[in-house]
Order: sequence, then C-alpha cells, then structure tokens
Amino acid sequence: MASQNMDPAAAAASTTAALKGGEAGGSAARGSVSKRLQQELMTLMMSGDKGISAFPESDNLFKWIGTIDGAQGTVYEGLRYKLSLEFPSGYPYKAPRVKFITPCYHPNVDEQGFICLDILKEKWSALYDVRSILLSIQSLLGEPNNESPMNAGAAELWENQEAFRAHLHATYKS
Amino acid sequence: MATPVNAQNPSKTWELSLYELHRTPQEAIMDGTEIAVSPRSLHSELMCPICLDMLKNTMTTKECLHRFCSECIVTALRSGNKECPTCRKKLVSKRSLRPDPNFDALISKIYPSRDEYEAHQDRVLERLSRMHNKQALSSSIEEGLKMQALHRAQRVRKQQQESDNTTFSGGEDNCDARSHDSAAPRTSHPSSHATEAGPSRNKRPRASDESCPEMDRGSPTPPPSHQHEGPGSEIELVFRPHPHLVNTQEYSQTRYVKTTANATVDHLSKYLALRIALEERQASRQADRAAGGDAAAGDEAGGGGGGVNLQDVSEKQYTIYITTSGGQFSVSGVRAGYSLWFVLEKYPRVQRLLCNTALLPSSLLCVSDAQRLPDTGAGE
Repeated sequence: MASQNMDPAAAAASTTAALKGGEAGGSAARGSVSKRLQQELMTLMMSGDKGISAFPESDNLFKWIGTIDGAQGTVYEGLRYKLSLEFPSGYPYKAPRVKFITPCYHPNVDEQGFICLDILKEKWSALYDVRSILLSIQSLLGEPNNESPMNAGAAELWENQEAFRAHLHATYKS
Repeated sequence: MATPVNAQNPSKTWELSLYELHRTPQEAIMDGTEIAVSPRSLHSELMCPICLDMLKNTMTTKECLHRFCSECIVTALRSGNKECPTCRKKLVSKRSLRPDPNFDALISKIYPSRDEYEAHQDRVLERLSRMHNKQALSSSIEEGLKMQALHRAQRVRKQQQESDNTTFSGGEDNCDARSHDSAAPRTSHPSSHATEAGPSRNKRPRASDESCPEMDRGSPTPPPSHQHEGPGSEIELVFRPHPHLVNTQEYSQTRYVKTTANATVDHLSKYLALRIALEERQASRQADRAAGGDAAAGDEAGGGGGGVNLQDVSEKQYTIYITTSGGQFSVSGVRAGYSLWFVLEKYPRVQRLLCNTALLPSSLLCVSDAQRLPDTGAGE
C-alpha cells in the first residue's frame, strides 16, 4: 500500500485511466469539477478552521496550495507546512494528488513530499474534500502509521519523542 | 446480532445507534406552529454530498438511505470502490439504489424555480471561464456604476412614478443573495408566504438584514435603483437609514439596490454617495425653481446651493452597516475591499436560501487569503 501511494508515475497512470471513463463529457465534466471546487473554496474560507487553509495557486482552480499548522501537543506544534493539491478532471471521484512542498520529516512522508495516506488512495471517497484532506494530514502528522513507513528512519526515531522533536526542528526549513 | 462486517445480511438486523434506539417519537405538528429552518441546515439536507449542489434525480441507497444525484452516485460507483460514499456500506451496483421521486418533488416544491436557477448558474460559470482577469472585472464594474449613476441623472424625473418594487420582480431565483430589510417588506408579506413555501423565502421573521448608510431625504415612495450588471450573479440589497445615527424625520428613504455580487463595499458606498448627491442636487434645483426660477440657472455650473459637486463625491462619505441576526448593527464585516458577496456570505441569516450554491468563484478569488474576515463570530 505504501508503494502504490508513493509512485507518482503510477498515480498519473491511474488518473489517466480514470479520465477515459470520466471525461466523456469533456468540457461539461470540467465545468462540474470547477463548480465543486468553487463550492469547496467557499466553504473552506467560511469555515474558519484553525490550522489549515488552502487557496488556488493562481487562476487555475485545479491546483491549490494548502497550509497545515502542526497540531498543539504534537512534536509538530509551531511548524507550518505547505502542500500542493492537484485535482484531476475526475475529481471528486478520483483523489487529488497531494504532496508536501515544505520538506516534512515524518514516518509516512518521503523525501519528495509524497504522503502515504489511505484516504488519498484506496480509501478515497467522493465525499472527501480539501478540508477533510488537510485535517487528515494534520492528524497524520501527530499520529503516524509506523507500520508502513516511507521514511524508516523517522519511524524508528518516533519512539523517542524528544529526539524526534529535536531532529525535526533542527532540520525544518519553511 | 450481526457483526459490522456482514451488514449485507438479508435477514434485516438493524444496527441502530444508541440515539436511534432511545429517541422518542416526535409529535406531529397540527396547529399553526411555524418552525424556522435555517437556510444552511436546509441546504445541507437537500445537497448532494458529491457535487455539493442541490440533489437532482435523487437516488437513495437501499441499505443505508443516503441520497445522491443519480449522475453523481452512478459515476462514483463506476469509478471508485463499490461502497456508499457517505458511510462505506457495500453497494454492489445500481441495484443497491432506488430512485427517490418523493424527494425530488419535495425539492421542486421548495425551489419551484430551479431551472431558472441552473440556467443562471450556467451563465455565470461560462462568463467566469471567459473572464480571468479580476482586475478587468472590478474596473468594469466601477465603470458600470459610474455610467449608471450619470445615466440616472437624466431620467431622475421619472422616479416618482415608478413603483418601488420593480427590482424585486425577477422571480424566485435561488441564487441571488437577496437580503430583505427587517421591517418594511416583512410586514407586507409574511402570512401569505409562510403557508406555502415558508422556509424557502427570506421573509421569515428572523432573516433580518439591512445595511444602513446614513441616508437622504424623506421621500415616502423610494425611487428604485436599477442596477443591471449583466448576467452575473446579482444581489439585491435594501438600504435603510441607520435608526440611531440618522434622524428619521429628515431621512427615511429605503433604497433597493440590485447589483453584481462582485462589486465591493467601496463600489457600493461610492455609488450611494453619487446617488444621494445627484438627488440632492435635483431637489435643490426643483426647490429653487419653485421658489423663483432664475436662481436655478446659477446652479447649473457648480451644483449650486444645497447641491453637491459630483467631483467631490467620495465613498468615504457614507458608512454601511449590516444588521446581524440579533438586530445589532455591525460595521466590522463590511470593509471597503470586500465584495458584497463575501460580506453577505459572512451573515448567513440575512441571505437568501442557498445563495452559496450559486456563487461565484470570481468574487471569491478577488478576496486574497490575507483579507479573510477575522473571526468576529457574527455569522453564527
């Protein structure tokens, strides 16, 4: 599961496959995706969630930049992470591609910023949205799944929270 | 009892939550009691969780009773896991779904003008995809406002004959953030609407809103202000003089303004300032004319006695307030740079039902992240 989450080429391939099914409508499909993304953007801006935010990168509604603040009481407290979210035209039936822009030292995040999180892969549901993704990643930060680490070193070090925190903060670059 | 895994078990074993097991039946309401349903909660009931739009050709899952648009759930089943998107219960195929025409009928009762609403939304989307440059957008709006204000000067004489409600005649379009003033329109409507389409209208008692600039002279029939900004998302606003700050003996005019949701508070202030200035000038001319003719001639150049020089009109002259649900007046949510749409969104009680489904990215995109409203809590 880790491996299929990681490989960007595989992810791209699966999206392309999805497009064959979903893109029969062409621009109409794209329109409905924009519509949903606009709804999400609005909800997100109105919700006033603490510690997460997201906004389209430019005029392109299909690529957003999100930020996550490390949750209080975790070793990530006080650190802020940027992520990129790219929405396939099969969204929301297909998960967006989400990766860290800010380097993130974490058992389930690799050096390129790819995230091992089931809801971004086989557990994706059309009901998830940007908000739930960001909240999930935020909680993943504090509660890694050390069973299937992408970063084995981080998974080992996690046992020792003090050392983890020290290493994390020493290597953090915003 | 069935284990959670074999929920498919055909011999029905209901997995009821504690709440479901213990809740008491609700008494049917047989008297005239009215229950207010907030637009937001109604919206969440009628919304498809996949497209976030209003349910269309509703399909309900047979097992777990979750609702989706037919198109949405069929696509979801085709492209994803064979499970309910809401609760992950197994959905083998389309046969695990049933159409829900009753629900469709319910929606069309509440929103009789849905087609209109959708057509409107399509137009807006199309327009937006053409219009990427938000700078161009806001400047064109400003231009439009100026032009209209000038144009109005020429026909201002007709004002008195026009009915005050013309801008509200445009059907029950679900998507415009129409805000109704708490006092005047309510008294004229409430009972007649409450019976049939109660929650879908914004004339409910608590849906009070108004923005209150200090306003002008006390003409009993308010001249309508038509503001057609093309097919974009439009908002209808009611302006009344601030009850505490403005002497109602002098200024009691209610104004109805219909404008694009993309206009900012600044645009609106400036527009109001222009209108008021124009009307004052007009009034002073008429007064002069009535008083004795020739004096008016002198006014033509400079805007004259009681009149105002249009060059001096500024958006700083008037402050716009919004009434919150508690009847308070808030100025904090109404800042110069905010688009009207954004302001109204912050005050959900004051807007028309479902207006958030209709709106519009570009107004949103005009608001940069840094401008997000501070958490005033006024919206809740």
